[in-house]
Amino acid sequence: MQSPLRLERRLTQPKWLNWGVPLLSLLGALILGAVVLMATGKNPISVYMRILERGFASTDAFSRTLISATPYAFTGLAASVAFRMGLINIGGEGQLYLGTIGAAFAGIAFADQPTPIIIAAMIICGMLFGGFWASIVGVLKAKFSTNEIITSLMLNYIAAILLDYLIFNSKSYWRDPKSFGFPTGKRLVEGAYWYDMSFGPITVPFGFLVAIIAAGIVWFLYNRTRFGYEVSVIASSPSAARYAGIRTRWKIITVMSLSGALAGLGGASDVGDFRHVLDSKGVQIAGYGYTGIVVAALARLNPISAIFVAVFLGGLSNAGYALQGPDFPSGLVGTLQGLILFTAVAGEILTRYRIKRQTHVAEGASS
Amino acid sequence: MVDYIDSKLTVTMKGIVKRFPGVVANDGVDFEARAGEVHALLGENGAGKSTLSNVLTGLYRPDEGTISLNDEVVHFDSPREALERGIGMVHQHFRLVNSFTVAENIILGEQSKNIMMDTSAAIERISALATQYSIAVDPNARIWQLSVGEQQRVEILKALYHGAKILILDEPTAVLTPQEADALFVVLRSMVAEGRTVIFISHKLDEVMAVADRITVLRAGKTVSTIECATTTTRDLARLMVGRDVVFDRVVRTNQAEPDNIVLQLSNIDANDDRGRQALTSIFLTVGKSEIVAIAGVAGNGQRELAEVIGGMRNATRGTVAVNNEVIPNGRVRKSMSAGVSHVPEDRLHTGLVADHSVEDNLILKSYRRAPISKFSILRRNVIRDQATDVIEKYDVKTPGTTTPVRLLSGGNVQKILLAREFNSSPSVMVISSPTRGLDVGAIENVRKRLVEAADSGVGVLLISEDLEEIFALADRILVMYEGTIVGNIAAHDATRESIGLLMGGIAIHQENN
Amino acid sequence: MNNNILVIILASGVFYGTPIFFAALGELFTERSGVLNLGVEGMMLMGGVSAVWASQHIPGSSWFVVLCSILIGAFAGSLVAALHAFLCITLRTNQTVAGLSITIFAGGLGLSSYFANVWDVASESVKHPIRILNPAGLSDAPIVGPIIFHQTILTYLSWVLCGLSLIYLFRTRTGLKLRAVGESPQTADAMGINVVKYRYIHTILGGALAGIGGTYYSLTIVPQWVDGVTKGAGWIAIALVIFGFWRPDLTLLGAYLFGALQSLGLILKARNIEINGSLLDAMPFIMTVVVLVLVSGGWAHKRLQAPASLGVPYEREER
Repeated sequence: MQSPLRLERRLTQPKWLNWGVPLLSLLGALILGAVVLMATGKNPISVYMRILERGFASTDAFSRTLISATPYAFTGLAASVAFRMGLINIGGEGQLYLGTIGAAFAGIAFADQPTPIIIAAMIICGMLFGGFWASIVGVLKAKFSTNEIITSLMLNYIAAILLDYLIFNSKSYWRDPKSFGFPTGKRLVEGAYWYDMSFGPITVPFGFLVAIIAAGIVWFLYNRTRFGYEVSVIASSPSAARYAGIRTRWKIITVMSLSGALAGLGGASDVGDFRHVLDSKGVQIAGYGYTGIVVAALARLNPISAIFVAVFLGGLSNAGYALQGPDFPSGLVGTLQGLILFTAVAGEILTRYRIKRQTHVAEGASS
Repeated sequence: MVDYIDSKLTVTMKGIVKRFPGVVANDGVDFEARAGEVHALLGENGAGKSTLSNVLTGLYRPDEGTISLNDEVVHFDSPREALERGIGMVHQHFRLVNSFTVAENIILGEQSKNIMMDTSAAIERISALATQYSIAVDPNARIWQLSVGEQQRVEILKALYHGAKILILDEPTAVLTPQEADALFVVLRSMVAEGRTVIFISHKLDEVMAVADRITVLRAGKTVSTIECATTTTRDLARLMVGRDVVFDRVVRTNQAEPDNIVLQLSNIDANDDRGRQALTSIFLTVGKSEIVAIAGVAGNGQRELAEVIGGMRNATRGTVAVNNEVIPNGRVRKSMSAGVSHVPEDRLHTGLVADHSVEDNLILKSYRRAPISKFSILRRNVIRDQATDVIEKYDVKTPGTTTPVRLLSGGNVQKILLAREFNSSPSVMVISSPTRGLDVGAIENVRKRLVEAADSGVGVLLISEDLEEIFALADRILVMYEGTIVGNIAAHDATRESIGLLMGGIAIHQENN
Repeated sequence: MNNNILVIILASGVFYGTPIFFAALGELFTERSGVLNLGVEGMMLMGGVSAVWASQHIPGSSWFVVLCSILIGAFAGSLVAALHAFLCITLRTNQTVAGLSITIFAGGLGLSSYFANVWDVASESVKHPIRILNPAGLSDAPIVGPIIFHQTILTYLSWVLCGLSLIYLFRTRTGLKLRAVGESPQTADAMGINVVKYRYIHTILGGALAGIGGTYYSLTIVPQWVDGVTKGAGWIAIALVIFGFWRPDLTLLGAYLFGALQSLGLILKARNIEINGSLLDAMPFIMTVVVLVLVSGGWAHKRLQAPASLGVPYEREER
């Protein structure tokens, strides 16, 4: 059975692929999504139009999109940072949870400090908690060669149980002692609320700006420093890294911790910018960590692109939330995100292969 | 028992063209082999021999041209079809499943309607074949337990079991001692006596002269000539192979070796391999200033582990390594480097270099930590680029640019970059493994020239090679490694191919003065 | 005697371990062919939701509907697996990321939830659940009664499958070829074995088995559809394959071990034994990590390794 097309390995990667592939992937995802929608009796055009409208079409919508985009930016950065060294960290979800725990702790403990101090404390604690959670994965991999995919994933489930425990199953520091009927976390004081920056009619959460700065730092670290060089060697050729004397085991722990710290920062932003309370159920339903993987894939692991992709996915998510109802079932957004991830992954092959038509072989030769 | 096989096969290949991205491996090749002959396919590395044989066995589909068996045109869509027609191959890199037993590997190719495996019947038949051809192999051994030479025997047995009438061997003696190679030739001769055909792919002239009836020479993807072995000489063959007169004589040195001025000393080194088994036992060796010391031996006798211990990639479990009379810390690559050790590994593209990285990024693989390449931990791109440009010019590297990934370069240019980087670090000692494997003649000349230059300028060179011809051309002194120990230490002018060959095979020879 | 806590734990281990075993067996076959499938969770969920739909909509006797539901669940799982196979084998994408994207796509927040909504299956409990049987009336036999004679048809099926799998893998020619494909596709190809065909078939088979595992959750354990009902079982199944050294028999035992861990919390609570509930909930996941650590390092790694080509796409015409 011969196919009319065949994949031929590329020699070099033309530059246009850097933006061409994500765009093609996106297009592919939208087409596939349309197929799913039509198969279940919905009109894809109208659905997409409404998404566009609710996600981006007004300054109000855009400001809300930025709110949704902020955690995605952090988890997208977290995933990119790890993936670039070949570490498949899918524990962004759990690392973010730990970040919320850390930031909530700081927010409560430092409640009577001036706002800049509280914010700084929340950021630091969020990063420490998230980084610690990820370092477990890193240590297991570095010391015992344990597969990081499964360990990081298991830690997600454990982190979720931990969150539930702190709010629902124990009288912890985080739980509001005055909440009897339905346990909730302690609400943060107003002084712990993160700033809202206004740029004209658009409101930008403080966390989003932090994410932009973080993206810049990550970009510089990975592209211009010795650290980044070593990471790229390890990713490309572990045996060459060993040959050159690069301390791979330490790098694994460091990069995982950095990844977790970024996810934890996302958790801090979630508490400081948006919820102002440790909301165990809410943050679990949101699935920020998994979306972060989609962000990283579509952004092709580039930290700057990750910010833009996060905004796009934020718009999708924001629209999905606003449009929820019988006509727009939950699960559609997740499905679309999954499709984007698919097509982004499938699109990657275009960077390695060219599609060629099967050449007609001369008569007499094998077919 | 010489029974002629039931039907003989003649194979004819006409006008075979096979292209890969960036290169035409076979450019209109004609080749024909008769039943009952050993036909050698000779050419230097990159001439297209392996490609041609892969086309014949159905692994590759030719872009143009025809294959005929006994005048009947055939198409192979897969290796299975070639197997069914009686064409078997023993590859350079064995096609064996490491975790399976010998018997399981051989059963694997069986065409049978039975759902269940009948292992005992297969083992009986294997043992019978093994006895018939005097091939010693235990059907129940697992492949990873066997030596390379034994694995090759399994491959041959496999082909015979499946009734191969045409057997292709791709560089079979690369992994054998001279004595084992002679034994192999005996087996081949008995096979062709029955009417089978053997196609023997090689780049080694004396071997080809020793075993072949006819020789077809390939050069740059084309057939140059097909001649009777009896009517030609190695010199003629060399000229056909390369297109010009080539003789590898012993190199002329401008500075003599100083074996007593020791730059590298290993004392009582033990080390383990990747599986934790002992790979090196009680290694003592020295290399002097400007001295080229060669280590001969069949691959897999501890050479790789030895090079890695000296380079710092591997921990020695006992003993010390000293450079310029100072003991260097065990198993620390950076310490070895700063002590003046340069390690050029056998695997150029995946260990010595980062295949996907650019030329300029590979050149800084060892120097990126210090000035002038980096300052305050930040890489200085313009310095990196300038350095690369200098190297390309000075070493005449053929590359589209400094940002080209090195995997796109030819073998010879890859080696140039690797050597350039290493020479740049002004080492006192260079440990270099199989430096010319897989390179074309021009590149081989170039590498040898550079090595000799380095030695002349004072570097102590430890040359690990399986190529005896190369060793005799370059070395001042020859050590032989067998099963992780040094079994011979002979001055080059006292050594003969035979004596080294025996040592390589583990046979100790008596010497008056050691 | 059958109220003995040990008996109950063992019986629960078999009961809760069965779906994990189905998924793990499927993954075992897939990995034996050299393909890594991280989309097991997604395939289980798709199987589960499809089975519920079937259960609500197919008319007929209880047995007939149950049979159809299981088959449809298997079919759904295999469809998703076919997609994964296409991405990994034909397009040669990174198998890890492909599997992850399938889980996100089909998982608790994705397609399975979408279909559940669209088909409106979560609103009521399942009409024809897979019931626990009482074969030969031996459910009350001492000790073995609850453990062996008080299970669902799927459990009994799983035992048959385990035995057949052992024979298939280690005694048949096809099984030998499969193992060769997973260990060394170059060798298998050179021996005339169709690597692509073996990988496709065993990947799709893996999805079908995962789908069956999913039906167990939605039609037996709960039995009602809840988004993300498998709660990470698919991931535990993947770890289980490693834990079982890619052997069906060891995988079966491991599945029962994890099944016991999962149900331990409920059992102890029912007995009013005070143990920290959250810790028990976390036990299966913690144990998975512990098991992985033990299996990855040292002696186990050297003796019993994964199929050598696992996760590496195969290209024949490589320069």
